[in-house]
Amino acid sequence: MTGLGRIGLVAVRELRAERREPDGIVAAVTFIAVLVLLESLVVGPVVARDADIAPALFWIALAFATILATMRSFDRELEDDALEGLVALPGGRDALFGGKVVAIAVVLAIVALVGGLLSLVLLDLPLALPLHLVVVVVLGVVALPPVVVDVVLALRLRARAALVPILALPVLVPQLVAASRGASAAIAGDAVGALSWAGLLFAFAVVYGVIGLTIVPAAIE
Amino acid sequence: MRPVQASASLRDVTVVFDDRPVLRDVTIDFAPGLTLIRGPNGAGKTTLLRAIAGLVPLARGARAIAADPLFIGQRTMLLRALSARENLTFYRRFRGLSADGVEAALAAWGISARDRDRPVEQLSAGERRRASLARIRTEPLAIMLLDEPFTELDDAASSELRTAIGAARDEGRTVIVATHAHPELDALAGATVRLREGRVIVE
Repeated sequence: MTGLGRIGLVAVRELRAERREPDGIVAAVTFIAVLVLLESLVVGPVVARDADIAPALFWIALAFATILATMRSFDRELEDDALEGLVALPGGRDALFGGKVVAIAVVLAIVALVGGLLSLVLLDLPLALPLHLVVVVVLGVVALPPVVVDVVLALRLRARAALVPILALPVLVPQLVAASRGASAAIAGDAVGALSWAGLLFAFAVVYGVIGLTIVPAAIE
Repeated sequence: MRPVQASASLRDVTVVFDDRPVLRDVTIDFAPGLTLIRGPNGAGKTTLLRAIAGLVPLARGARAIAADPLFIGQRTMLLRALSARENLTFYRRFRGLSADGVEAALAAWGISARDRDRPVEQLSAGERRRASLARIRTEPLAIMLLDEPFTELDDAASSELRTAIGAARDEGRTVIVATHAHPELDALAGATVRLREGRVIVE
């Protein structure tokens, strides 16, 4: 069994559990849907369609969805020491980070798809570069989970409810700025800007992915 | 997968949690056969098993183990929302084994065909424990670490577990069981380690 194979097994196990108990994804989708609906009421329909406003709120909602999905994932894992069962396996510690990140990214992609479509339809956003927007959203979805999983594991899973949002959100700021600016650029028709921000998101995903893969074996002891 | 001769050892091991030593200068060699870890609550039995499994950082000392062990903790280590069959299949596949034998193992431990596919949180505590112990059969590794494995088991299942432990011992596997009760295991054991306040008092 290769390392990638083990990561795949952990991700599939996670997604299977999420499908059976979809309360995390339902909460995240509901949250982003309500945010989109409230957005036009709070700031007014004209401002809500601004190419800078809608993406910013969308990515803030996705950041909270990432934290929510990650916390639920580890809560389920800790309930009957399933996490210890996994890390006791040969290669389990290395597969834990990768598997969690992949599974949470898939969950986040669903939330982003629903939230993105709702934003486009309900806010009637004028979208100049749809493919560029897709690239930014995909890379944003890939860039957020490694940060939150890193934070959870660096805390050695303690005091998650209180500390994860407090510690994860400041670390997520660069990714949120890049994702919001990239989406704004795609909506406004700035192809170079959209791809530049997408490249930054990719770099952040790589950096936090490498950090997670290297610190996890020590962090979860 | 055939079990092979194997052993584990701890040398001058100290484990500290929150500045409190939980194991102190523990040195033990584990030979093939059954070794019982005994001691009152809080003596360090669970930490000792987790130290052998490499699940706790050692403040001092060294651990050596000849092969990856099967570690079954005090709780079932089954992921909620998944069935017993899915959980055991996951553990086997992670070790590079096929899913063969999972159904038979669960059946042997008294998990009905219907219950094998129910999410584990819908099973009784005893059924979950039996499903967890079926890993002894589905992951027949050379070294087994069982932490209070009789918890939640009725008399019939306890007897089944004693038989499984005896069979593993007879196959030459290294079986290390932490328990504060079940004196009937003494007859099966080749060695008994007694712990008190993190120290080995009798070996």
